[in-house]
Amino acid sequence: MPALRTGMLRRQVRPLVLACAASSAHQVCEALVPLAIGLAVDHAVDGGPPGAILVAVAGIVALFALLATGGGTTFWQITAVATEEAHDLRVRVAGRLLADPRAGAGRGAGDLATVLVSDAKAVAETARVVVNVVSGCAGLLVTVAVLVRVDVWLGLGIALGVPALALAVDRISPWLQRRIEFRQRTSGLAAALAAELVQGLRPLRGFGGVPEAVRRYRRAGRASRDAALRGATASAVVEGAGLLATGLVLVGTVAAAGAMSRSGRVSVGEFVTVVAMAAFVGDPVRRIATGIRLAAVSRAGAARIAVLLEPADAAPPPPEAGPEIDVRPGEMLGIVTTGAAADDDLAGRLAAAGGDVLVEPHTVHLFGRTLPEALDTGRDPDPATIGRALTAAQADDVDTALLDGGVNLSGGQRQRVALARALAARPSLLVLCDPLTAVDAVTADLVASGLATARRADRGTTVVLSTAPALLARCDRVLFLAGDRPPAVGTHAQLTANAEYAEVVLR
Amino acid sequence: MTPLPTATGRQGAAALARLVRAHPGAALTALAWTVASAALTVAVPLLLGRLVDAVRAGAGYPTGLVLGTGSAILAGAAGTALALRATERLGARVAADLREQVVARTLALPPAVLENAGRGDAASRVTEDLEDFVTAVPLVAEVLRAGVAIVLSTAGFLTLDWRLALAFAVVFPIYGLSLWVYLPRAARLYAAERRLAAERGRVLLESLHGRSTVHAYGMAALQTRRLAGASRDAVTVGLRAARGYLWFSKSMNAAEAAGLVAVLLTGYWLVRADLVSVGAVTAAALLFHRLFDPLATVLLAFDDVQRAHAALARAVGVLRVPRPAPGVTRRPAGTRSVSIRARNVRHAYGGGAEVLHDVDLSVPAGTSLALVGGSGAGKTTLANLIAGTFAATGGRITLTDADGAVDVAALDPAVLRDWIGVISQETAVFTGSLRDDLTLAAPGSDDEQIFAALRAARADAWVRALPHGLDTPVGPGGHELTAARVQQLALARLALRDPPAVVLDEATAEAGSAGARDLDEAAAALIDGRTAIVVAHRLTQARACDRIAVLAGGRIAETGTHDDLIARGGRYAALWAAWSSRAEVSAGPAAPSVDCPSGTASRTGHPTRPPR
Repeated sequence: MPALRTGMLRRQVRPLVLACAASSAHQVCEALVPLAIGLAVDHAVDGGPPGAILVAVAGIVALFALLATGGGTTFWQITAVATEEAHDLRVRVAGRLLADPRAGAGRGAGDLATVLVSDAKAVAETARVVVNVVSGCAGLLVTVAVLVRVDVWLGLGIALGVPALALAVDRISPWLQRRIEFRQRTSGLAAALAAELVQGLRPLRGFGGVPEAVRRYRRAGRASRDAALRGATASAVVEGAGLLATGLVLVGTVAAAGAMSRSGRVSVGEFVTVVAMAAFVGDPVRRIATGIRLAAVSRAGAARIAVLLEPADAAPPPPEAGPEIDVRPGEMLGIVTTGAAADDDLAGRLAAAGGDVLVEPHTVHLFGRTLPEALDTGRDPDPATIGRALTAAQADDVDTALLDGGVNLSGGQRQRVALARALAARPSLLVLCDPLTAVDAVTADLVASGLATARRADRGTTVVLSTAPALLARCDRVLFLAGDRPPAVGTHAQLTANAEYAEVVLR
Repeated sequence: MTPLPTATGRQGAAALARLVRAHPGAALTALAWTVASAALTVAVPLLLGRLVDAVRAGAGYPTGLVLGTGSAILAGAAGTALALRATERLGARVAADLREQVVARTLALPPAVLENAGRGDAASRVTEDLEDFVTAVPLVAEVLRAGVAIVLSTAGFLTLDWRLALAFAVVFPIYGLSLWVYLPRAARLYAAERRLAAERGRVLLESLHGRSTVHAYGMAALQTRRLAGASRDAVTVGLRAARGYLWFSKSMNAAEAAGLVAVLLTGYWLVRADLVSVGAVTAAALLFHRLFDPLATVLLAFDDVQRAHAALARAVGVLRVPRPAPGVTRRPAGTRSVSIRARNVRHAYGGGAEVLHDVDLSVPAGTSLALVGGSGAGKTTLANLIAGTFAATGGRITLTDADGAVDVAALDPAVLRDWIGVISQETAVFTGSLRDDLTLAAPGSDDEQIFAALRAARADAWVRALPHGLDTPVGPGGHELTAARVQQLALARLALRDPPAVVLDEATAEAGSAGARDLDEAAAALIDGRTAIVVAHRLTQARACDRIAVLAGGRIAETGTHDDLIARGGRYAALWAAWSSRAEVSAGPAAPSVDCPSGTASRTGHPTRPPR
């Protein structure tokens, strides 16, 4: 998806141009440092007048000032652009995912989070790609220009030879990449296993699984170690090949320049320059190569993000027709079915009816790190409403600090907080799906009573999909849906006479 | 909260030294190649300086020198690669050993230590801290090589002329000063950056996990705003940290310029005074130029190395928790009949108020006892004490088999679960195949045994129906299991482990309408023939047990069979009436309460949370 990246480059033209200019200046200065050393040796140290060494010193100070400014400007511009762009992209994609149920449907939260963190960052790194390639070319050009001035053949030889060698070395880098990825993957697996075992330590200890868990971790750890050992060989080979390639260029240059200077074609200073330039030339070539590699990474990241931003084509399938559910305004209606699938289907149909409907999902997800944050759903209820909702749901004993979506709460506490949140939102129609399965019998009874009172006070309509007698007993009417038969309707007390109903409910 | 110990710098270094000594061959190889490659790296500019002198002298082509320089360059390249390989391999071995030891010790930490420290602390030791250390290994290897190169270069300067070495040394005070200014600031900023990045990740994951809830409440705008806020905070501090780094990198350029100027000025003066050759000055300048990279490597890695060191100190800290004294290692007699008895059991969390007072109960072998009570009544605490999860602060809990009684608290962790297994409120699915998940409880079980356990848990039918049966991957990213199925697996694991006594704490709590019956049957099958304590959640579970104990305010209020208690007309009878919704009782505003669940009663049932 080139649009993401080109759009970003267009937005950031000014800082990018500045970064390219600064980075090129920095490269050129880096290239000129050995040259300056050569010139200083040639014209000042090698018997020059005192004035000459002062000029050399001033030149070197000026060169470093320019170099530092260039380097600093580049770093700052790229960092600022990449950070801001990654942030914008992250927020944009997240907003889309949260607003549109069809975006990224069926994908795990961890998977999507990786896209939002790593891939957004990779796309924003496009800025670095551009700057790297531009400044690398600038550095290469200056190096070659200096060398050609000393000797045309030497210059051309290096200008052609070094990129060729760099490309040859680059050929083995995918192999390294694979090994490194494998190393990271096995290391990640070992780390994930360790985290999982500590997280699940209580159940694990409950069935005495610790010794076996330690054995399994040892296996994962050893696999990770072996991958790291192989990865070390791979990175050494790639590093060694790069070093050997630059070494060969340097050796060739030394031999050639040595011969030339003996025959008087180059001066001692020029000899130093040539040797230093030959040692430097690998740097801009590496920059360009890094830029190209980064480009591939950011292209892949952009593709993964683009999928999430594409307009969703398919409209959601209309909910299947089922028995007509007649919900009377202001009532509390209990619905008892004989299967979870039937519940989901019913909840979906009630939600699709439109209007101010809130279907509180059965699986509780709390947001925020404090209880007030968890209760805030953007409807800005007044503190009194929140207080009433907490009391009704028996959730006022809950700590105000929530860890990671409330993992520090018990299942029952989480359900009670979720119920308080739903009550505080005061929707016209509230649909609850098995809301008290993790709440003990005594508390469930109090919550059910609080729920009925609160909803009646709000004049809201409530539908409870549940088999809990405590809840059903508080409903104005209960609908019993079993199989394809027409629904049985009545109060909970009336329906308990129905043997099948009693079997489902009074377990 | 008492966090796990953190090793001091000296203890961390000692632990590292011990880990390295375990691999003497790898350590010596790494050291040898590092020194050799650094020596060759330093030799190159020195040889080039000689070459300059030879060229200036104008004698014949210096074949020997050119050959010498050439081979030094090539050998240096090869040596550097070998040094890289050797140090990384050593690092990989050391990191693997450290990981293994720290994880094994963390999993075996005494429950009291672990719960006091909080599982977050333990989890971060085995994840972030170990990862910080492991990922720092290649970097540390590189710093090591750069450090050796710097030391040898200093020696190289000395072979040229001591005054040139002194001129070069001018860089060190500059580096020292800027590190002194930068490091504390950077440490603060990086810590803030990591904290905010973690917070951003938390908000991100929380929002994505709860997407269905966000959609249900139509609160996308609010949640996106929260996420944008967290991301913005991370960006702001990230840019502040970058600005600090920028200043530091400029100070490094300044040091390079100062060093180069010093070498050239000194060289100019020495050549004029005829004390050194032009070649020596050239060599010094080139040597210094070649040092830019190693110096930068060492300086820029300073805070990474510091971080790795801090991570090491925290990881090694786990190893400093004293090992618990070995307990009783007797396994239950083969007859598989174990009775449970609690006498005067009292408990208080972390020196807080007592939550259980003088509890007495006795469960004969092969029978089951249900614990019933409201939030904060002490059910889960009592269940955990009986299961040996942690020790009671007072009283005695014993298990008795044909060979006599043992104290639960005195049993060694290695044999505890051969006596009594427990399913806590927390459930977990472990990543891997379904078979892997189940055999964690009993390694080496064959498929026949596994299916027998699944049958007991009423889970064999759906497991057989899975596309890959027992080989189906489960856990994050694997086949998704409903809460009810996850609990069936927990029951199956315990069936596979097959202890004579079991404690089920709300093991069938999280079931919607559909799976509840299967779960009840599965629990009944597990209990059958074993001595069982069941923390009853739904009263039908209580009714299924041989006897029932009603807990209120940390005391046993009444005990008896279901029929006894109903006949007695006490708390249980009132609760049962409310539960089964006889119209005349449920008409009241609230059912008679077994225990007051709201208001001041602190929820101490959950041992991760000490009382407030």
